[in-house]
Amino acid sequence: MADQGGSNHGIARTSRTRTEEQRQKDLERIKDYRALEDQVRAHAAKSDYSPDVFALTSKLLRLNPEYYTVWNVRRRCLISGLLSKPSPGSSPSKALPTSSPTATTTTSSAVSSSSLSTETPPALESQTTGKSGTTAEEGQQKQQDQQNDQQILQKELHFTIPLLLESPKCYWIWSYRLWILKQVIERLPVPVARKIWEEELGLTSKMLLRDQRNFHAWGYRRHVVEQLESPELEGKSLVESEFEFTTKKIEQNLSNFSAWHSRSKLIPRLLDERNADDEARKAFFEEELGKIGEAINVGPDDQSLWYYHQFLMLNLVNFVGHPTITPAFTQEERVTYLRREIEGIQELLEDYDDAKLIYEALFDYTLYLCQLQERKPNEQEVKDLKGWLGSLKKLDPMRSGRWADLERDLGLRVTMEV
Amino acid sequence: MAMGSIGDTLWDVVICGTGLQQSLLALSLSRSSKNILHIDPNDYYGGAEAAFSLQETESWVDRLATEDKGLFRSASITKPDVAGLSFPRAYSLALAPQLIHARSELLSQLVSSRAYRQVEFLAVGSFYIFKTPLDPEQQPSLVRIPSTREDVFSTTAISAKAKRGLMKFLKFVLDYDSPDQRDVWKYFADKSLMDFLQEHFKMDAELKTYIITLTLSLDGRISTEDGLFIIHRHLTSMGHFGPGFAALYPKWGGISEIAQVACRAGAVGGAVYMLGAGIKSMATAADEIELELTSGDKVKTKLLVRGDDSVGDEPIISRLVAVVGSPLKSLFEPTIEGAPTPCVAVVALPAGSLTTSGEANTYPVYVFAHSSGTGECPNGQTSALTITTSDILIVLSSIKPFCIIHNMLGAKANWKSIGVIYLSTMATSNSKEILSRALESFLSAVDHNQVPQCLYQLYYEQAAGVKQSRLDGLTLDLPGPSLSLSMDDSLLQHVREAWKKVVGDTVDDAEYMVFTDREPVDDDDYE
Repeated sequence: MADQGGSNHGIARTSRTRTEEQRQKDLERIKDYRALEDQVRAHAAKSDYSPDVFALTSKLLRLNPEYYTVWNVRRRCLISGLLSKPSPGSSPSKALPTSSPTATTTTSSAVSSSSLSTETPPALESQTTGKSGTTAEEGQQKQQDQQNDQQILQKELHFTIPLLLESPKCYWIWSYRLWILKQVIERLPVPVARKIWEEELGLTSKMLLRDQRNFHAWGYRRHVVEQLESPELEGKSLVESEFEFTTKKIEQNLSNFSAWHSRSKLIPRLLDERNADDEARKAFFEEELGKIGEAINVGPDDQSLWYYHQFLMLNLVNFVGHPTITPAFTQEERVTYLRREIEGIQELLEDYDDAKLIYEALFDYTLYLCQLQERKPNEQEVKDLKGWLGSLKKLDPMRSGRWADLERDLGLRVTMEV
Repeated sequence: MAMGSIGDTLWDVVICGTGLQQSLLALSLSRSSKNILHIDPNDYYGGAEAAFSLQETESWVDRLATEDKGLFRSASITKPDVAGLSFPRAYSLALAPQLIHARSELLSQLVSSRAYRQVEFLAVGSFYIFKTPLDPEQQPSLVRIPSTREDVFSTTAISAKAKRGLMKFLKFVLDYDSPDQRDVWKYFADKSLMDFLQEHFKMDAELKTYIITLTLSLDGRISTEDGLFIIHRHLTSMGHFGPGFAALYPKWGGISEIAQVACRAGAVGGAVYMLGAGIKSMATAADEIELELTSGDKVKTKLLVRGDDSVGDEPIISRLVAVVGSPLKSLFEPTIEGAPTPCVAVVALPAGSLTTSGEANTYPVYVFAHSSGTGECPNGQTSALTITTSDILIVLSSIKPFCIIHNMLGAKANWKSIGVIYLSTMATSNSKEILSRALESFLSAVDHNQVPQCLYQLYYEQAAGVKQSRLDGLTLDLPGPSLSLSMDDSLLQHVREAWKKVVGDTVDDAEYMVFTDREPVDDDDYE
């Protein structure tokens, strides 16, 4: 169902008028907020990023997580004091100047790893990867540093959670989280980092549970999965579990563009990793057809379902130079499957005679069939195409221009029965 | 106000009885400046919608034995000689275990009046149909009734064509009240929904059963108009308060909890409450009534509101309430990810699915299974149960009434109750037996392997009350309690009319049941 939003368990909010008492309270709150904001800005102006300022940012961000400048102040507090410094041998002062005003603005922009990596001080990067020449003392110090950093970074992740629950689509919170997670990869030992990133995957699942249409969360999830699969985290492929995840999402809500889309994107790699032979690929294809068929059977008006069905049909028709589920299908097999689908869809018309997407699909797929067999539509097909086009004109008069174009392109002439 | 002085006030209204309707009236008046005296001849709240401990159940049954002409009759308790029952106060058996659909008007009123904050609402989970297998050697099963598109998609129990039919029906119902769709069914409005489904949708028997079950129709013959209303309410309630459920159930005894919360609100608003006080006699003057209460007090009031507990002319139902020590976990699984764990499951045994004395049941039996999450029984713990093969054979082939079977196993088991089962059906000459059989069949369908154990049974019959309010001078009688298994919002209008009588034109109708919180409350507290 649609996003429940708010904190009221979906119980309808009835509008409240503020009493004078509540208005006074609000004025107090505004005053406190402004004071807090002034304090933080004053400290930042002096380049004061001490732990006290850090505490102030906590307060301020709880009140207003959209205040991206304050997130930057917080980052600076971490880099310049709370997180461990790079060890002697590389100048710590190198770190700060690279965090120039331009770099910090890129940090607060869209969630993409490339823009984030520009602001990571090179000194720190070399520190965590270089292991040669460290003495026992340095080794111990490093371990302590890592433990300290782990605590700090996990606390930071924890800090953002209640903020995310309240504002699940606030870019700055997600961006900050990603920055922290990047620090996790750079500063912490791989098993620890991995575990934290796995928890992150769990978090995206929860966010997608709350709002399945949060495209933001889907994109974020893909990024998390990518990291988990990367060599930095000694990752292995998560394609099976991600595929299973799309299945679950679809079962919860059939109209899930993002889930079906993700699914289609995962299939090539899925089949490769399974080392699927032609037999297995055929079985997989049939299973997907079955699944989408069941879905369309109950949701013929749902665009996302037809898009996926079309994806499967294009698999039959557009296989040259494209990753395809069933590369070994013969021409005959392709034709058979396409025909079968067209017949199956025609059956739907028995009960759903006013679903325009059905007519569109029949129209398109008949043309696919002709394309596949490199021929023009035969007499019966022309009759059918005209019929379907006629229905489309009736059901979707807004797109009459489109139907007219199709008519012209195919040399069909349909007379509308009034 | 001291008790002794209740005779000194000219009350604006005396409300007699703390059943749901009278209690809602008290709630509606809780912010008015009216003087309200709210009495109840019973020594408990809730009236016909009360919830009882085991002791209270026994007192109630004893009392009914002496006055068998009221709404409740033919009550009896069966306590098999088995161990496992907890102490009596650990139970809260509801006389009105009604579901409240998410879109019901009652909930809107509880929200707008803020009284909802006092009630803990639990989710009602899936609705199931009990399916007798074609092969008598096979075990019966419970089939979930699909009521969302995703349910229909996932179920393997219906053919593709039938699914299309069902989807068309669901789509129709969602829009049934629009002018276009009205034309489709208005001819059938008073005719049975079954007939409409047959005629217009050509539905097969199985699908028809699913649909009728969603209406919880006791005689299976609900009218098209009423049926479509209820199904529409069910479908639009689905997901309304969260994923995976369409109805709620108040913890600690169902409707009785609503009544108690409403009375509490009344008390906070200044109403005076007296349990154990009924009306002994009354004398009506021009613009006031003088009441002599059974407590001896004499009070004067401008208006008397009572519940009408005379018998109406509609059905009588049979009910069996069974405390069962049985693992029913599979019934209380959340339906989808993110859904709350339900505490109530609904199972329908359609007409013809049970046989007693060689005859199949004419009317459906509805089973409301409550887990201990409802607070109506203690949390269950089961110890290991060893059953020898010979015991199992005896159980499966036995035709003896359910509870006697379990005497044989009583010594081995040490169950604590973990469920309260409410079974309802139309009262007939053998409805008591039908309910027994239904309980047995239901429990065996839930879990074929474990042998369930019944620890306590309450049986009674309840007649329908009067459906209309009646105003006779200064006495207003609210209609009797509803037999409907889901909350029937039509009774709310009578409460509203009573409210209007009390407040007159001093209050705007739009303010009915609309209150602000007494103390500013941060909504975030209710996360």
